[in-house]
Amino acid sequence: MYKWLKRGRVVLSVALAIMITLAFMFFSNRDNFIFSSILKIQFVPALLGIFTGSAIILLFLLIFVLLFGRVYCSTICPLGTMQDVIWRSFSLFRNKKESRFKYTSPISWLRYLFLAISAIPLVFGSSFVISLLDPYSNYGKISSEILSRSEQFVHNLLSEIFPQTIFFRSYSQFIAVSFIFALLFLMIVIIMSALRGRLYCNTVCPVGTTLGLISKFSAFRPVIDSESCNKCRLCISNCKSECINLDNGQIDASRCVACFNCMTVCKRGAVSYKYMWKKIREEDVAPIKGRREAILTMGLLGSFIAARAISRKMPAKEPETIDGIAPPGAKSTANLKSNCTACQACVAACPNGIIKPSTGQYGIDGLLMPVLSFEKHFCAYDCNVCSKVCPNGALLPLSLEDKKLTQIGQVKFIEESCIVVTDNTACGACDEHCPTKAITMIPYGDEGLTIPVVDRDICIGCGGCEYVCPAAEKAMIVEPRAVHKLATPPKVEKQEKIVVDDFGF
Amino acid sequence: MERRNFLKSAILGGLAGAVQLKPSSLFASESKEVQGENDLVAVMGGEPLNMYKRGISAMGGMSRFIKKGNKVVVKPNIGWDKKPEFAANTNPELVAAIVKDCLAAGASEVVVFDHTCDEWQACYRNSGIEAAAKAAGAKIAFAHDEKYYREISLPMGVRLKSAKIHESIIDCDVWINVPVLKNHGGAKMTMAMKNFMGIVWDRRYWHANDLQQCIADCSTYSKMPVLNIIDAYRVMTQNGPKGKTTEDVVLAKALFLSTDIVAVDTAALRFFNQFKEMRIEDVSHIQRAERAKVGTTNLDAIKVERIKI
Repeated sequence: MYKWLKRGRVVLSVALAIMITLAFMFFSNRDNFIFSSILKIQFVPALLGIFTGSAIILLFLLIFVLLFGRVYCSTICPLGTMQDVIWRSFSLFRNKKESRFKYTSPISWLRYLFLAISAIPLVFGSSFVISLLDPYSNYGKISSEILSRSEQFVHNLLSEIFPQTIFFRSYSQFIAVSFIFALLFLMIVIIMSALRGRLYCNTVCPVGTTLGLISKFSAFRPVIDSESCNKCRLCISNCKSECINLDNGQIDASRCVACFNCMTVCKRGAVSYKYMWKKIREEDVAPIKGRREAILTMGLLGSFIAARAISRKMPAKEPETIDGIAPPGAKSTANLKSNCTACQACVAACPNGIIKPSTGQYGIDGLLMPVLSFEKHFCAYDCNVCSKVCPNGALLPLSLEDKKLTQIGQVKFIEESCIVVTDNTACGACDEHCPTKAITMIPYGDEGLTIPVVDRDICIGCGGCEYVCPAAEKAMIVEPRAVHKLATPPKVEKQEKIVVDDFGF
Repeated sequence: MERRNFLKSAILGGLAGAVQLKPSSLFASESKEVQGENDLVAVMGGEPLNMYKRGISAMGGMSRFIKKGNKVVVKPNIGWDKKPEFAANTNPELVAAIVKDCLAAGASEVVVFDHTCDEWQACYRNSGIEAAAKAAGAKIAFAHDEKYYREISLPMGVRLKSAKIHESIIDCDVWINVPVLKNHGGAKMTMAMKNFMGIVWDRRYWHANDLQQCIADCSTYSKMPVLNIIDAYRVMTQNGPKGKTTEDVVLAKALFLSTDIVAVDTAALRFFNQFKEMRIEDVSHIQRAERAKVGTTNLDAIKVERIKI
């Protein structure tokens, strides 16, 4: 039976990890939201999105963990699956003895330290620390910065072989800080998992620690029957969480990720996945400590959610000036900075490739969170993809109608830089690109030239004008809006219908 | 033996050369005399397809412009992520009709592309042109990256001395220019000459270096389209070239065909003036191109046929 449980878990975990990865791949994330919708079942996104539609998902995840322990970590978490793959891959090059796990005692102070430094800022409206530690978000960064770039490289190789059918994917913007962070994180996880299995999950990961506290009290837990156990240590050798202690016959439920390895390998059937809630009532001695901790955790989680709810009602003071334009749906820079974990789902999905990880535009506590760049392109008028792929609710879904009225910035026209003024020649590139006609052309001089004039209330800050402005010093610059506003709808310009029945020449 | 072989091949080669040269030169001299071959044809009052059919036959049929086995490029305006009813792009039905006609005239392949302003895949898709052209048998070329462009020189250019032109234009035998008639905030009007901005890579240079002159300069390119077809079925008369709503569009139901790019722009502009006033002096690329001897604005000096349906 455990063999089938394990097989099911492996199949499900690989399938989920692949689907999550596909949400970041160009060939699979265009024109559909199949893969990006799966991202919502990740723990931190569900927690952050609790007030924006993910409450049911979070409740489901918590009940799931309360019933079955940290199955989440060995099934749903893509970073968990990745670590198992890494361990297995390294095992191919090791002899049997080297591939054995040993029991290690937990480094509890470190676990709780990481949990505290991630959770406390969250309560006060900053998701910065959790964005650096959250397993899903970091898997996202790895997918976007490393896997997706590799995909692009392969895509472009294929475009050389089949130039008529496969197009060349122009290289996207390279943000060194983001790439280096993803690479460093990947290397750290590779080293940790190659040597010690789920060491990251059981020492660093704040999600692992939280779920571990709940699992101590879960309904089903692996237990060793001391009668049947002959202490062959086979289970220990196969426990990637290094949490089976045969000296006292205990399995550390806070670190066990319920991978079912121990139950599968035990030749004597001494390890079993047991329903424990009934037993507690019978014996009522040992597990009380676990119950207290679990109740405490649930209480902390509850007060955390309550604190978030209060802080939502009292939004943090917006900075006077910011340097970065947040993607549509962000509502405000403050909202972005308290909900975004920089997973880069929006960066990977933007069809125009204009969303990039920030490098300080929002301040240090907004590092790697998405910011718009109009260097290579601009925000498409008929597009709301980024707002729809965000699993956290850091970008809230916008209908196309709403998106077209969402003012993420406002253009500023610097007349003295404009080609029409400096060169006295026609241009109008900005007017050409303006989707709302916040920019219009009015007569200039008496040589039939026209110059742009701007209506800032209509402008939505899409950056078409800034991108296309050919002047050496841009004459059109979009100034970020710290709080996104509702723009005035474009003017409706009815024109009288002239009926023409001649050619005019 | 060797001498005999040499003589044999020399004679055969000479014959082949003569045979190859003769028909094409004969054809060229003949074609000017054939009836119904106008310099400019204006059609109005019909649907895209029947206006095109009447127009092209008044121009002497597609076989006047395309020889059997030719690689042909049809270059519409696909600049914007807009549906056909917004008239920001060339009418897909017209593009499809031209593609079919080229293939019927013996073209070995027909390629359709544009260097778009909005994101290219959205433009290709939402303009309806990719689907229509493919269904008609054309190939769609990619034009969104600099790697698809090659540098050519424009010795006659005043401000634009060289440009990176799309490889399919450089590599084809003939190309047909199929713009849509629109008002334009910067260039005043966008018609046949302005449509060349979609065959070059660096448009920003044009805007920064006297747009009107650069438009005229690019029309001095040695490889000009054999035919210009201006789509004026739906005409954007305000807020061009992108437009806001269908309020910007009038149903004008017209089509202009010409071998002379200056003449066709002149004709389309005069037609446009019936809806909105626009002086030819203000669309100065037209007269600048005329001064560079690209074509004529004097429609009385060329053979024009007007067809009302």
